[in-house]
Amino acid sequence: MRKVLLTLSLLSLLMYAACGGNKDPFDIPAGAGGGGPSTPLTATVKGKIAFDGPPPTPKKQPTTSDPNCKNPDLVVEDVVVSEGGLENVILYVSGGDLAGKSFAPPTEKKTLDQKGCHYVPHALTLQVGQTLRILNSDETLHNVHAWAEVNTPFNESQATKGVETEKVFTKEEIMFPVRCDVHNWMNMYIGVFNHPLHTVSGKGGAFEIKLPAGTYEVTAMHEKLGKQTAMVTVADNGSADLNFTFKPK
Amino acid sequence: MSRNVRVAGSLHEEGENIGLHRFALFTACSTAFLIFVGGLVTSNQAGLAVPDWPTTYGWNMFTFPYSKWVGGIFYEHGHRLVASFVGFLTIILASWTWLKETRRWVRMLSLVALVSVITQGILGGLTVKYLLPTSISMTHACLAQTFFCMTIAMAYFTSPTSKHGSASIRDTHTGLALPTLCLMTTGAVYLQLLLGAWMRHTQSGLAIPDFPLAFGKLIPEFTDYHVGIHFAHRMGAILVTGMIAWTFVRMYSRHQHDRLLFRPALILVILVFAQLSFGAFAIWTEKSPIITTVHVATGALILGTSFLLTLRAYSLVVREARWQ
Repeated sequence: MRKVLLTLSLLSLLMYAACGGNKDPFDIPAGAGGGGPSTPLTATVKGKIAFDGPPPTPKKQPTTSDPNCKNPDLVVEDVVVSEGGLENVILYVSGGDLAGKSFAPPTEKKTLDQKGCHYVPHALTLQVGQTLRILNSDETLHNVHAWAEVNTPFNESQATKGVETEKVFTKEEIMFPVRCDVHNWMNMYIGVFNHPLHTVSGKGGAFEIKLPAGTYEVTAMHEKLGKQTAMVTVADNGSADLNFTFKPK
Repeated sequence: MSRNVRVAGSLHEEGENIGLHRFALFTACSTAFLIFVGGLVTSNQAGLAVPDWPTTYGWNMFTFPYSKWVGGIFYEHGHRLVASFVGFLTIILASWTWLKETRRWVRMLSLVALVSVITQGILGGLTVKYLLPTSISMTHACLAQTFFCMTIAMAYFTSPTSKHGSASIRDTHTGLALPTLCLMTTGAVYLQLLLGAWMRHTQSGLAIPDFPLAFGKLIPEFTDYHVGIHFAHRMGAILVTGMIAWTFVRMYSRHQHDRLLFRPALILVILVFAQLSFGAFAIWTEKSPIITTVHVATGALILGTSFLLTLRAYSLVVREARWQ
């Protein structure tokens, strides 16, 4: 009797696990991107994410647990400030004149590289349906573990240098982490949007978003320093400036 | 009270299966080591460092090159190999028991242990495949402790003390029966391990960042469930400490000379004080992997010791009334 109960319990457990995991994570829904022809992106919003405070001293990240990393100069990238500006801030249109506009997913792929046991870039944005190419440029093993909550999470191995994997996200999800459990310091962030009106701040905190003319709410979101929003209006073929300021925590 | 355990049977009889007893003991010790190694995996956040199962990055797990045991792979792959070793030991233990043991229920126990270790291996695989769902990870953690108790039971029931010692320690206490007290203590420890596993697998270990106070107060505001789980684990520690203190006082006052009972009770007191310190340091060091792992392993040792004491109390202690 005891054996029967044990067997039944085990089978129930297996069935429970099996029922939760049979969805295809990368099945793109019909009509992603809005259906009709893409609205042209004829205007530009550009600006800078300023950092109001002393730039943090770069903190060294030891990589000694894997001698194949070969990156003794690696630093922690949670807050990166250059030329007074904050890098790796995800910027996106979060409201405004989006109704009636449609955007087909771009055919251009975005690349996430693993180089020196470090993700390049540290933050990236994609449109729903756009392909993400994940590359291992290291002479060591990595696992690519996406902690998505709206999209289906995944954990894939990349055992050798030069291995590539492609992923397509099917739902909008603003900022989820990707981590490597082999090298527990490796992390980066991804934002997936229903539209192409997004970017990531680069050197000096500079950014530029191409978008159709109109009035929009723009959100700037940082992994550690939170988020801010601002309104901007831009004319057809015109350009508007938009700046944000983040303070250290 | 004096020690009064009668060990019947000749040396020849004892010698017959002493090998089985020693093997069961070795399996129990290996299981304790396995729990420590499993603790290292979670403490180093390496549970998903090997994304595939039962293979390791596409290799057969037994031929995965040592040069590739880097970073988190060292912990996760090492855990899989030690677990395989314990599984192998359990197969031998069950086979040996079925061949040599005459008591049917001991043979059944060895079979249950074998089924448990296989289930445990499958749970370990499922937790990797499904990216550490709390329910499966917690079940994996709790079954580990249960399996550890089974190996202790196997070691105890194959020992000469268990096979030939009769119920001969008198308990004249008129209150709660000693075996019941020991069982309650073991139950409290097991409950505390459940809470610990829940806290660990819901990332609630630093939900209350200060100790001995909680957000500067005796009782914190329960702003989210992580705080509740963490605080329940602290309350569990008080309960376990109280139960162990009660058990020890009882042993000290009435069974000081009954070595088989007093020694484990004394060890429990030492372990629980060490465990409270490790718990405090786990918070003060913001979950240092080694401190946290030692905390998990010490929890298993407390459970094992309390369980052994319970087995001995049930098999050796007779209430005074039965003697009269």
